[in-house]
Amino acid sequence: MQNTKESKLITILNKIENTLGGLKCAVTLILIFTVGMVVGTFFESYYGTEFAGKTIYKTWWFMSIQGLMFLSIVFATFRRLPPKKRLYGFYTIHLGLILIGCGSFVTYYAGVDGSILLQPNTPAREIILPQDVLKIEIPDEGRVVTYRLPNSAFKTSLDEIYKDIKLVDFLPYAEKKFQWQDSKNSYSEKEPLHSSEYLISNDNVSQQFLVSLHPESIEYEGNVTLGPLTIHYLPNGLAKCFAFNNKSKLILWDRESVTCNTPEEINVPVKVTKTGSRFLVIEKDGGYLSFFPDASPWPMDEKLNMNQQSSIRVFSKKLFEDKPNLFLFGEKIAFYDKDEQKWEVREFNSSTTKLDLPWMGFELSLLQHQEKKVPINIPVPTWPIQKNNQLIKGNLKAVSLEVKGKNYWLTNERAMTLLIAGKKMNFILAKDSLVLPFEFVLTRFKMDKDPGTNSPASYESFVRLFTEDGPSDHHIYMNNPLKHEGFTFYQASYSQDRQGNYSSTLSANVDQGRAIKYLGSLLLFIGSLLHYHLNFRTARKDNVSPLINNLES
Amino acid sequence: MKKLVVLFLTLFVFNALAENTNVYFCKQEFSKLPILQGGRVKPLYVHSKEMMKYLTGKTELEGLSSTLAYCLLSLEGLGISNSLNINIRVDHSESRALLELGEEKTIKVTELVDKKDLIRAQMSKATPDSSYQKSLKKLLNKVSLYSNIVSSQNWLLPELNNNEISWVPLSAFLRESKILEAKKTSINPFQVVIQESANHFDKVNPKSSYKLEYKYAKANLPIWSMLVSLAALLFLTLFKKFKVALGLGLITVVIQAIHIAMRVMISGRAPITNMYETVMFSGFGALILAIIIGHYKKEKVFIYIGLAYNVCTLMMMNFAGSMLSPNISPLVPVLRDNFWLSTHVTTIILSYGALALSWVLGNSILIKGRFNSLSSADEKYYSDLIYTCLKYGTIMLGAGIVLGGIWADYSWGRFWGWDPKETWSLIVLCIYIAILHGRYTNWIPPKRFIPLVTASFMSVMMAWFGVNYILAAGLHSYGFSEGGAIFLGSFFLIQILVLVFTWKPVKNNREPKNV
Repeated sequence: MQNTKESKLITILNKIENTLGGLKCAVTLILIFTVGMVVGTFFESYYGTEFAGKTIYKTWWFMSIQGLMFLSIVFATFRRLPPKKRLYGFYTIHLGLILIGCGSFVTYYAGVDGSILLQPNTPAREIILPQDVLKIEIPDEGRVVTYRLPNSAFKTSLDEIYKDIKLVDFLPYAEKKFQWQDSKNSYSEKEPLHSSEYLISNDNVSQQFLVSLHPESIEYEGNVTLGPLTIHYLPNGLAKCFAFNNKSKLILWDRESVTCNTPEEINVPVKVTKTGSRFLVIEKDGGYLSFFPDASPWPMDEKLNMNQQSSIRVFSKKLFEDKPNLFLFGEKIAFYDKDEQKWEVREFNSSTTKLDLPWMGFELSLLQHQEKKVPINIPVPTWPIQKNNQLIKGNLKAVSLEVKGKNYWLTNERAMTLLIAGKKMNFILAKDSLVLPFEFVLTRFKMDKDPGTNSPASYESFVRLFTEDGPSDHHIYMNNPLKHEGFTFYQASYSQDRQGNYSSTLSANVDQGRAIKYLGSLLLFIGSLLHYHLNFRTARKDNVSPLINNLES
Repeated sequence: MKKLVVLFLTLFVFNALAENTNVYFCKQEFSKLPILQGGRVKPLYVHSKEMMKYLTGKTELEGLSSTLAYCLLSLEGLGISNSLNINIRVDHSESRALLELGEEKTIKVTELVDKKDLIRAQMSKATPDSSYQKSLKKLLNKVSLYSNIVSSQNWLLPELNNNEISWVPLSAFLRESKILEAKKTSINPFQVVIQESANHFDKVNPKSSYKLEYKYAKANLPIWSMLVSLAALLFLTLFKKFKVALGLGLITVVIQAIHIAMRVMISGRAPITNMYETVMFSGFGALILAIIIGHYKKEKVFIYIGLAYNVCTLMMMNFAGSMLSPNISPLVPVLRDNFWLSTHVTTIILSYGALALSWVLGNSILIKGRFNSLSSADEKYYSDLIYTCLKYGTIMLGAGIVLGGIWADYSWGRFWGWDPKETWSLIVLCIYIAILHGRYTNWIPPKRFIPLVTASFMSVMMAWFGVNYILAAGLHSYGFSEGGAIFLGSFFLIQILVLVFTWKPVKNNREPKNV
């Protein structure tokens, strides 16, 4: 009984060995592998290096083909045992391939391949790895939870729950799509939440912009700068006070009651200090608030400390008369007309869709206005596009989270902070990193250019390495890496900031499979020579018709 | 053949028209002066030729040599006008419509300068990376190069300051004091001052290779080697004189060796850093390989395939135009390692050469088989010869890929990174390995072996040219140039047509033969 079972197993194993180790299987596997690579190179050229890795090169099926090729080579070798002299070359080639396979597996399994950014005179010890991760920092507990995101190229559902947080979807390549959303939190009726989108244009240029007062709006804020023009988006209740051409040119704004008035209206005198600064004092809740409106809209308390929490602020319109400043309130706009020497307030309505501005023939149109909704950019999945080795589309990565029934988008552009069960939690979508047991400083970066041109001829980093044994200086350049504690650092690229300071990027690498791969490569080469040497024969030329007839020698 | 005749004429007939134009103090001898442009010092002859070729598509202008024309144009910046008409070719039909050229295919450069703003405005509106935008960009580049030349800013001359050479544009170089000083001793002060600059440069840089480059550029070695190689091929195929053909073949090897050696001395690096050089090296290497194999195998067919492939590469070098640019330019930093360049790249390019031999032989057999039927002994014999080429090709390709891996590991820290160029070289290897393995199965009978090997060379062309011209991405994208996609497309089309034309069904041996 035992024997038949064993022999059955052996027959099956033999069958597998014969099939996988057969020539036809080898040819089939090589061809599938080849087709995969061809598709991969086209993907790489359209969608980028990382995308090709995620869809072909680093997928389970492509890896499995390589695994099967490995088995095929192993079995093919076994099938040709015991050794025959004629096949010595064959054994060496196949042993070489097996070693390269083993070495690559060791590298894949245990190796590190990342990069480290060295900014001038800033110590660095963090290696950035290619893996995308979601990090949840809980500062109160001093804890960081790291979740490895899947290595996929398309939208993938995560279905992972951590405490009250549910990770819903991961978008490895996304672009932004604009949306108006309802508020997540509730607000008092009076609170100004409105958002508007405008188009400013003249004959030569036009520019669309969206401004918002909504506290949940992250990407759209109240202030925008367009060249020399500064745009201020303010609660619509303030517009009427810009219309008053009061002598002091001051406006009082009460955030709590959402009302505005002028010192003249409420009979508060505007005084002048000995040094010539204007000030006014307002009584509020039994205390006094002193304003120096030409210096700051915030009041000073009795101890002359600035109080930024105050609900009352005083604006001086005078400050906004010299340079082009445009005040927008939704449907109303205000600006200072230098020719007329007065403040103008205009309004969009059904008959006026365009308002003239006093600068360079610019006109303003109101494209849309929302009282309560939040302007927000939602990440949507997309196919990336690569040009000149850089992604020009699909740079955004996003994870959707669900916390207590509310949905949030976390992107790699900015971290997000949420208060969950009374605890502050920071969410970060980033690349995984590894902290080195030693530290680097870039002390000097040297760049040589081809004479008379701006193209780099070489770039070199001078670094100081701080270890337990003390500091040491090293010079890293093309084809001259630094090796330390199993890590190898290579000069990879560089960048320059506006001040002209260079930062250097090194690629950092640990490869335990290196020696095995090198040995395998050597065997492969020797084996090929041996194989053809052992099988050398001169073809018989009997009865062969010559390619070129009647050739004279 | 027509092109050849024209070539002969331009090479050997002196153009008498040159006498008619006033060239002021410009002299043909200025060709030998050093100039710093494009990141290296070269003779003015080479620079002016490259510039005139880029502007007008020709190296001569109204009977003037490129040096004289370049010199005359540069004088405009000093207020010396000339009557040269520079016409710039506009190939894109949309660009022609924009410039209101009508049926005309060229535009005067002065008119183009006036329309600079129009072109720039259109360029920013055009679809990014469209052929229209590229054409406009090219026109703008030509305009700015022209403006650079006629403002005397392009011609840089060496000036000696405290034993160091600084490069000064012509307008600043010809200072009045210098001219007046020279006038005391010469009636041609401008010429003296300009000629002397070379002496100053030589004093500081006695080892500069620009003089050698002048000789190199004047020698026209690619044309000579092509003519000799072509003659060898004709002697072999038409006149059936094997020994003469072999002799001429050896002469072309010597000429090409001199050509390559000069290039190495000028650029100071292995001669395989752009498409022009790889094509040159593969043809050269394949011919040597063919002579060696032919000698040991005692088979004259190898000389034929070696010469045929060599002629193909030399034709490409001489007639491919801007697709294969013969200019020598500085390398990107990553590739500046002579040891790895001369091991990894040469091995790969030699392997392509060896595989090209199998391709030439395969096509020859296929075409011969189409007209005269081949016996199975013929098929077996020629398959063996092709197999010999594949043997060398695959060993060198495998070795080249491994060397590339080691270089990448050594300078980037990774053995393999799925870069398109390295992936495609592995694809080529896999295809040939699949054929070599398939030969032992009944999937690839001898009749199918030859067309399969021939078709497989398309993968080599894809790895060699296609990655740069079609995929155009990745670390190895050093050789991007125009027209490549069209060339490659035509190659694939012709090869497929040959395969279809020579296709013969395999007789199935298992079927009864009495049909």
